[in-house]
Amino acid sequence: MGFVWHVALRYFRSTRADAHIRVLSSLTAGGLAVGTAALVLALAALSGFQNHLLTDLARHTPALQVELAGSGAGVPGEAAEEPAALVAWAAATNGVSAVQELLYARGWLAVGASVQQVEILGFEKAPPVWIPVGDRAARGLIVPIAVAQKLGLAVGETVRVFSPRPGLTPLGPRPRTRTLPVAGIYRSDRADYEELPVLLPLEEAAALFAGGDRRLDLTLEPEAEQELVAGFLRETVDPAKATVVGWREANRALLFVLRLEKSLVFSAVVLIVAVAAFALLASLSLVLSSKRSEVGALAAMGAPPARLQRIFLALGALLSVGGAGLGGALGAGVAAFLDRFRVISLPPDVYIVEYVPFLVRGSDVLIVVASTVVFTGAASLLSARRASRLDPVEAMRSART
Amino acid sequence: MISVSGVTKAYRDGEVRRQVLRGVDLELAPGGTVAIVGPSGSGKSTLLNILGALDTADAGTVRIDGVDVSASRPAALAGFRNRSLGFVFQFHQLLPDFTAIENVIMPGRIAGRSAASLLADGLELLDQVGLRDRAADFPQQLSGGERQRVAICRALVLEPPVLLADEPTGNLDAASGEQVLELLAGLRRRRGTTMVLVTHNPEVARRCGSVLRLDGGRLTPA
Ligand SMILES: Nc1ncnc2c1ncn2[C@@H]1O[C@H](COP(=O)(O)OP(=O)(O)O)[C@@H](O)[C@H]1O
Ligand SMILES: [Mg+2]
Repeated sequence: MGFVWHVALRYFRSTRADAHIRVLSSLTAGGLAVGTAALVLALAALSGFQNHLLTDLARHTPALQVELAGSGAGVPGEAAEEPAALVAWAAATNGVSAVQELLYARGWLAVGASVQQVEILGFEKAPPVWIPVGDRAARGLIVPIAVAQKLGLAVGETVRVFSPRPGLTPLGPRPRTRTLPVAGIYRSDRADYEELPVLLPLEEAAALFAGGDRRLDLTLEPEAEQELVAGFLRETVDPAKATVVGWREANRALLFVLRLEKSLVFSAVVLIVAVAAFALLASLSLVLSSKRSEVGALAAMGAPPARLQRIFLALGALLSVGGAGLGGALGAGVAAFLDRFRVISLPPDVYIVEYVPFLVRGSDVLIVVASTVVFTGAASLLSARRASRLDPVEAMRSART
Repeated sequence: MISVSGVTKAYRDGEVRRQVLRGVDLELAPGGTVAIVGPSGSGKSTLLNILGALDTADAGTVRIDGVDVSASRPAALAGFRNRSLGFVFQFHQLLPDFTAIENVIMPGRIAGRSAASLLADGLELLDQVGLRDRAADFPQQLSGGERQRVAICRALVLEPPVLLADEPTGNLDAASGEQVLELLAGLRRRRGTTMVLVTHNPEVARRCGSVLRLDGGRLTPA
């Protein structure tokens, strides 16, 4: 063992002997244990939630979306950009397992005298997976429960659907309209939709809302690399005709909020570690002032200032590593336990999971370790520098008075 | 070996300026020994600290072993102190967290040597001052005189070419004092160590090559 650790270990042992220093150094270790445990737990809870949320989101969001341009021009009678060619092109791309064409528009539903403006979603083949309807083969209107309640609708009743764009008839412009049966009512508590859409088959929607926004939702083969496929599509498509968007891009705002949430929680909890670092600073200062004359003697015997500094850095590490390590292990253990046995339950109608999930991520633990090292290192450095600046004659004189 | 000329030193105590050294000159050849006597508070320890590069003079030059001590900052002289100087401080300055033998070999540990390589030399020194069986004791288990002897062993463990001792026999009875003087004489015979001893003990002074008196800030032959 080198000189530095030899001395640091003895000083560490001597912190047990002095009552004041013992209290302060126990406070340091305890504070660091609590701080790191709280940090690991808080980040694990957030990671657990976000992991659930993102898995759920990924399940409900198509891997890639192709937004078709040229639609929505709004000129009555003008056909939207023919999407058939693009659908064929997307379907033929390597890694794409399915293509669904969708149409978005605003329209009205009318039942008797009541009229309601709604979001319209035309779907090809079956309703998209993220709309939780029981009967996927239903042909007709699929209405969110809020709209159904407002208009007093039940399955089997008929509704008139209006398009805001008039159609040209030999008798002059007339509103385009269709009467369709309600085939299903759905309930969804997905938070990322301001207004849940009324669904109807694509051919009906296309006839009513020729100028609506068209989009292709691509499902990828399980082994396909989303970024690679997206890159290929972007290169081959005419940007004037279509834009390719990945689900991370499509959910950029949400992902940003999640990251922000994590850094805010981290900043709040890391304060515990900061306070513990102050306790460490106090302990080290107390050790230094009780060892002043000895440090002076070491300097007089030729220990260079840098080595004296390292003694106190090592002492800071000895005083903090135990507490921080214990706290980190404790936090991770408690998080794993709470997750494994689903200890904390949540009301099922409010959250997407019925218990608080915890996920201990290596990267989170690394951040906790790094921040603890930064705080305790700064505290140690502050007192270590004072040790290295000690004037040996002054310091040794202090012992006799 | 030791060449001091025109060294002055003043301390400021609040508004009061105390001129402790007023132009000290000292020449000492390699292997030479000098005893410095003088009343308490005359600046003996101050002079020794300046010789040992622990303190800086206000004016004058100090050359030790070819090194111009007065031109360098004390912190920069750490290696020089460790290699070339042995210190016996007026107050023993043992480290209470370390045993007697650990204290003795501490300068070697500072020099980067392993404890194992220093142990034999350290125990031999403790043996010569009659403290071999106290090697594992901590300083608070030792008497004042025993501590002082351990401190002397510590100053000698690296067999430095220059020894600076501040009242090395101050706390010792006649027998222990004699042991210490034997130790110093042996070192001088073997290694030709240059020694500056601050002392009140006439027996110590008698054995030195010359005796100088520090009074009124100047060194004069006693
Ligand atoms: N760091 C200091 N600050 C102020 N006065 C000091 C300091 N060191 C020594 N002195 C004063 O200088 C004088 C000489 O001290 P010292 O060298 O210890 O004397 P001696 O060793 O001869 O007894 C004393 O009056 C002492 O009070
Ligand atoms: Mg003195």
